[in-house]
Amino acid sequence: MQEIKTAEYRVWAEGATIHYEGTMRLSGTEAYAPVQDMMGAILAQAPAQIVLDLTNLEFLNSSGINLLAKFTIEVRKAAGTGMAVRGSTLIPWQSKSLPNLKRLFPDLELTIA
Amino acid sequence: MSQTFGHPDAAAMHTEGLHIRLCDGIQHMEWPQAGMTADFLGVFFADIAAAAGADARSARHAIGYLVNELLENAIKFRVPGGAPVLVAGGVEGSGFFFEMHNQSTEDVAAHFGTLLEELTSRDPGDLMIERIEANAENSSSGGSGLGILTLMSDYSAEMGWTFGDKGAGGTLDITTRVRLPLD
Repeated sequence: MQEIKTAEYRVWAEGATIHYEGTMRLSGTEAYAPVQDMMGAILAQAPAQIVLDLTNLEFLNSSGINLLAKFTIEVRKAAGTGMAVRGSTLIPWQSKSLPNLKRLFPDLELTIA
Repeated sequence: MSQTFGHPDAAAMHTEGLHIRLCDGIQHMEWPQAGMTADFLGVFFADIAAAAGADARSARHAIGYLVNELLENAIKFRVPGGAPVLVAGGVEGSGFFFEMHNQSTEDVAAHFGTLLEELTSRDPGDLMIERIEANAENSSSGGSGLGILTLMSDYSAEMGWTFGDKGAGGTLDITTRVRLPLD
């Protein structure tokens, strides 16, 4: 299992599902690079579907939203891999900002429950 | 000549409310202070917002997101050892009012002014999607302006900026004012 863990957040992959937990307010693209690399490595394996499980990601800054948005476009461009994003109604930023991913990739399955 | 962008009168500094000064002195201003200050303001105002009819959890999160995004920028682009960053907030009616004063160099302010002109020129939601698509073509792009666009588009924040005249040392004072509607 691949995992990136700090005092503030934890990101780990199980198969083609990537879980995010905690508070991610990293200082920009370079700081997010290890997470981006983990996501890219899973996409490179060309699974039928990639799942981003954000249901425990309490806070995400706009650099992190940019990471999710850029990855959504990468998946859209990679023929043969679908994408599902799971959010929580208990975490307000998700209902506000995750629909933007659906605008970028209309075939994406967005579930905020 | 001072310059303005967006809605510079979106909020006004009140004598009441909460005022914080972040000084770049012995305790250097560092990145995590944006998040810590944002969390503090979110917690501080959540119950006050709830008493005014808003949802406490939504208010805490929205205030936290707003303050963190603006302070991240103020800390990233500060003049080292320069004037403190001042933030003030308050809940009034169904909104959170926020004001921030910070200083930047003339070059940074010129670049930021050009960005703000673009960000306030069109529908923020459409502009955000376009900029994300453009950013995706450039792998090193950090998505500059995305924080402000998400605030205007996803949070319906009314935002404005006033750039003061160039002072001694070639720095400019920037005032940011925001009215954030609370759900």
